Amino acid sequence: MATISINNLARAIYESSHDKDEAELDAVMKNAVNIISKKHLLSKSKEIINQLEKIADKNNGVIRAKISSKIKLEQKAITEIEDFIKKRYKAQNTVLEFQINEKLLGGIKIEIGDEIIDTTLKNKIKKLQNYLITK
Amino acid sequence: MTKNYIVENLKKQIENFKDEAKAEKVGHVIEVFDGIAKISGLSDIKASEMVSFPNGETGVALNLEEDSVGVIILGDFSKIREGDEVKAIGQILSVPVSDLQIGRVLNALGEPIDGKGKIKTDKSNPIEKVAPGVITRQSVNQAVQTGIKAIDTLIPIGRGQRELIIGDRQTGKTAIAIDAILNQKGQDMICVYVSIGQKDSKLRKLQTRLEEGGAMDYTIIVSAGSSESSALSYIAPYTGVSIAEYFMDQGKDVLIIYDDLSKHAVAYREISLLLRRPPGREAFPGDVFYLHSRLLERACRRNKEYGGGSITALPIIETQSGDVSAYIPTNVISITDGQIFLETDLFYKGIRPAVNVGLSVSRVGSSAQIKAMKKVSGTLKLDLAQFRELEAFSQFGSDLDEGTKSQLERGKRAVEVLKQPQYAPVKTEDQVVVLYALTKGHMDDIAVDSIKSFEEGLTEYARRNAKTFYKEVIDTKMWSDEGEAELVKTITEFKQSIQK
Repeated sequence: MATISINNLARAIYESSHDKDEAELDAVMKNAVNIISKKHLLSKSKEIINQLEKIADKNNGVIRAKISSKIKLEQKAITEIEDFIKKRYKAQNTVLEFQINEKLLGGIKIEIGDEIIDTTLKNKIKKLQNYLITK
Repeated sequence: MTKNYIVENLKKQIENFKDEAKAEKVGHVIEVFDGIAKISGLSDIKASEMVSFPNGETGVALNLEEDSVGVIILGDFSKIREGDEVKAIGQILSVPVSDLQIGRVLNALGEPIDGKGKIKTDKSNPIEKVAPGVITRQSVNQAVQTGIKAIDTLIPIGRGQRELIIGDRQTGKTAIAIDAILNQKGQDMICVYVSIGQKDSKLRKLQTRLEEGGAMDYTIIVSAGSSESSALSYIAPYTGVSIAEYFMDQGKDVLIIYDDLSKHAVAYREISLLLRRPPGREAFPGDVFYLHSRLLERACRRNKEYGGGSITALPIIETQSGDVSAYIPTNVISITDGQIFLETDLFYKGIRPAVNVGLSVSRVGSSAQIKAMKKVSGTLKLDLAQFRELEAFSQFGSDLDEGTKSQLERGKRAVEVLKQPQYAPVKTEDQVVVLYALTKGHMDDIAVDSIKSFEEGLTEYARRNAKTFYKEVIDTKMWSDEGEAELVKTITEFKQSIQK
């Protein structure tokens, strides 16, 4: 029998669990763990959970974003960023993770999945450098 | 130059600089090994799109999987680490093209490596392009003069044709290609020599040879050496043909040589296996036929409405101990419009170029041959075929009738005439004269040993004394009765003069 991909496994667990009440959920989870151990995939449980999170996020319209800046952002800026992300990705909810990075020199950098919006000073200087070299 | 001037200049340049905040797709390196990187993310990437690594190296996306991308790295991969950020450039791999590339040696990315400085150009061509379609094409009708008698007479190559040069190692495959390039001087032809997986010393020797022959004035060398990664070997022929297309688009005729495609297939096999594509026959991936067919289909002759111009391709394949039925040789034989088959046995017998006339064919070239050449080569082909048959047969018995004997003698002389040293191309008119003398029997009473010197003397003598004949062949591509009579007279005179 062909091996099950982690992605398929996560999707199966999600499909069988997302509209169940608590009592049923218990049973579903037990079965899921049983299958995972039977297929010798317990070592991959971290990846399965990651994948499961991704699937759940997608279906619930949740966008996870990592925002880096030089200084701590004000509340006003945060709500603005949140609105921007919601509008751009048509998301209902956002989960924002903030990071302080002195090396960015200024501006902010937003990372969503594999997309990056980089408006930091550091990036701008780098672009200017490239521009002057190629000119 | 004052400080102010520099500052002002810099200010002006900075003023033009515009920066827009853009969402960029990035990925991260999951693993990197043997010139291959596996990258997560990059969800919107196209096949064979370029990506850039943080240390400035570029890569090409070849495998697009569900949540990762397989990339071949063009250049040094030793500094790429796991977790590095990779950006998609949003552009299919392309190479710079320019008129200034003529006379230069380039690497597989189109950058000069001959130490003669940078080539300034703002034009570039994608390396993968769909070959010209049927309505833009025209059938082959003009010859490529290689200057090699055995080829120009028996296996003629037309402009826009794809003619395979196939043979074992050390049979003179590259020599034929080099002679063909050297003979293009003054023939209004641009030559591109693509060297794939060759030793750098061999390339250097070749470059020097071309320079000495004055051939670098119209030649471009594209090289992916054996010390470079197989990714570069894989893209080098496509780079070469992209450059060739640039010249064809200007309506020029281009001759491109791929030396050699067996190494190219091996490089592609290496990449494919590393990318975990399933292996097939001889461990080559399933699309190895397409690899070569899409490359060689780009050779073509375009009709006038679409700008004219042509690309003639001479791919080279190296066989292992004469085995033409291996995977890659059969593939390329079926793609090309004929092959020049070189044999080790002939080479050591002293028949050089070691062309096996019986197995070599040119499927479209005969329509490109001039009429005069067709006239003399038709009987030559027959003479040689009969000679080969009789040669094997005559070894058993010594008693032969007169007719057989004369055929054998004629055949021996024909083989002798087709011998030719390297770097000594012969002009078409001279070829016609020599072959005329041979096929009309004027050489039958010359000793086989002295055929070579007779040939040299005759062409020199005829050039001076059979001017009408020469003029007719050059201008009208055929001789008249008058010209023929003059030539016959000249040949008889010359024979008398050497017998004295």
